[in-house]
Amino acid sequence: MRALNPRAWTALSAAVLIAAWLAATWGGFVRDLFLPPPGELWDGFVDLLTDGYRNRTLLEHLQASLWRVFAGFVTGAAVGTLLGLAMGYWRGVEALFAPFIEFLRPLPQLAYLMLLIIWFGIGETSKIILLFLAALPVSAVAARDGVRNVSVQRIHAARSLGASEWQIFHHVVLPSALPEIFTGARIGVGVVYGTLIAAEIIAGSSGLGWMIVDAGRFLRSDYVFVGILLIGLMGVALNRALVVLETRLVHWAGR
Amino acid sequence: MTIINTSADRRTLLKAGLGLGGAAAVGALPRRARAAGPDKINIAFFTETSPSAIAKANGWLEEATKANINWIEVGSGAEINTAIAAGSVDIGIGIGSAPTAAGLSQGIGYQVLYIRDNIGPAEELTVRKSANIKKPSDLIGKKVGVPFGSTSHFRLLGFLKTNGLSQKDVTVLDLRSDALVAAWQRGDIDAAYVWAPAKSKILAAGGEVYRTYDKLEAAGYVIADLIVARTAFTNAYPEAVAAILKQENRALDVWTSTPDKAAEIIGKQAGVAADVAKADLLEYDFVSPKRQLEEKWLGTPGHVGRFAEVLLGTAKFLAEQKSIRSVPDLAVFQQGINTAPLAQTLV
Repeated sequence: MRALNPRAWTALSAAVLIAAWLAATWGGFVRDLFLPPPGELWDGFVDLLTDGYRNRTLLEHLQASLWRVFAGFVTGAAVGTLLGLAMGYWRGVEALFAPFIEFLRPLPQLAYLMLLIIWFGIGETSKIILLFLAALPVSAVAARDGVRNVSVQRIHAARSLGASEWQIFHHVVLPSALPEIFTGARIGVGVVYGTLIAAEIIAGSSGLGWMIVDAGRFLRSDYVFVGILLIGLMGVALNRALVVLETRLVHWAGR
Repeated sequence: MTIINTSADRRTLLKAGLGLGGAAAVGALPRRARAAGPDKINIAFFTETSPSAIAKANGWLEEATKANINWIEVGSGAEINTAIAAGSVDIGIGIGSAPTAAGLSQGIGYQVLYIRDNIGPAEELTVRKSANIKKPSDLIGKKVGVPFGSTSHFRLLGFLKTNGLSQKDVTVLDLRSDALVAAWQRGDIDAAYVWAPAKSKILAAGGEVYRTYDKLEAAGYVIADLIVARTAFTNAYPEAVAAILKQENRALDVWTSTPDKAAEIIGKQAGVAADVAKADLLEYDFVSPKRQLEEKWLGTPGHVGRFAEVLLGTAKFLAEQKSIRSVPDLAVFQQGINTAPLAQTLV
């Protein structure tokens, strides 16, 4: 069989999905409560764009969510990466922090949601700390593994050439670990993104995640679908942006 | 612990059975439905201080229906709506009138069978004593927490609207009742609109009641806790549904005749002390089955009462808030009330 253009395959799968959607809703097989037809979805979208949701425009909800993801991810990834680098480089640091990182990483965020509210209140702080805690262990583990995987020969070679510890770290360890750090960052964005709804149900009234949960309470499936589409597309865009950044910054990866 | 002696119980059940047999003879029920009851009934319930807890604690529903009861705990009426729409819950006990009005408007296939209580002052605005909130405009610039989508939320928005306040003047935050108590204790919010036990905890931690319910009720913002059942389930198993409502009546009798004993059982189920449970229970106006069948509430089979208008009014408000898309005719809410099973319990 001749290989079909990948774009054609993508277009085909999208077309099949949309055709099934149209058939199910227009054919009257599914009630709009369970799956709104395209027209209702569009109306819901226009409605949200013009009137907003619960006293905030759609753009404000989008901005609120993006800001939280950005703040939580950047702080979590920065602290996590620094910690991970140190853990990979010095066994002592690893011994100090590894148990906490290992414990935190698989912990479901909803488990400690209540504690965050009691400690940090219901404002932005607790939401961002929740996202920070989601991003931190992922980045830390990626950076640590990145450092660990640096080939010992390279370090020995640099040392025999008279490089200082800082020079070794800066010119050998860091560049070798960067590809893994970036992979960690992309996974981290995914994790932070997945935690967004948990963060926004803390005393919500803004954010796409909260909007989806709140609209779901009244079974407003049109708003729910619009919210899911937006949050999904935003996630794809964020991931793409990181891929572009990665190819620019660590062009040597895999070579 | 069983409270009522079983021989009397067997007699009343027999009577209920005869009543149903009579109804079936008239031709109202399909043949198969009389032959077999359901093997399993999925019932959604709240952990709350209400007489329903007595029936649950004593296993009365299992006993009366001879079915396995799958008790599903929920945290909001919205969860009941979703579960009934998905067909995974047959009966919802204690769902509020606001989510029910939303559910009927959205075409969920269920009906109101019972008004358990008129909420009255049991859900009320509580304000921080130190914040010195004495009139509606004192709330301007303050943060008020409330579980969104609940009857309390409906009341709070009604309070703001009737007093000419908007959600730009007052910050209304969506908090579940447990989170509400935590936020209150930290001082993050100055007011809350919620039910017991969260309300009692807030009052104990520097809160005071700001009375809104009487004026709101007069303005049409009536809220109530209901029992709803999937229409298909009621049609298939009318005896089982009537038997369940009968146990609800029985539990209410325990509360009215021996409140201390009832408060002890209910408190144990809700995880609060008996005296706290009793104080909470006293705030509700539990509507007796006879009163429910009056014109003011559900009405009688063939003549739906004014509660349909309450549901319609609630739905109109929810549509204004854009919580629901559109409001159906009064007829939809009238069809959404079925008093036949309740009437059978009184035969």
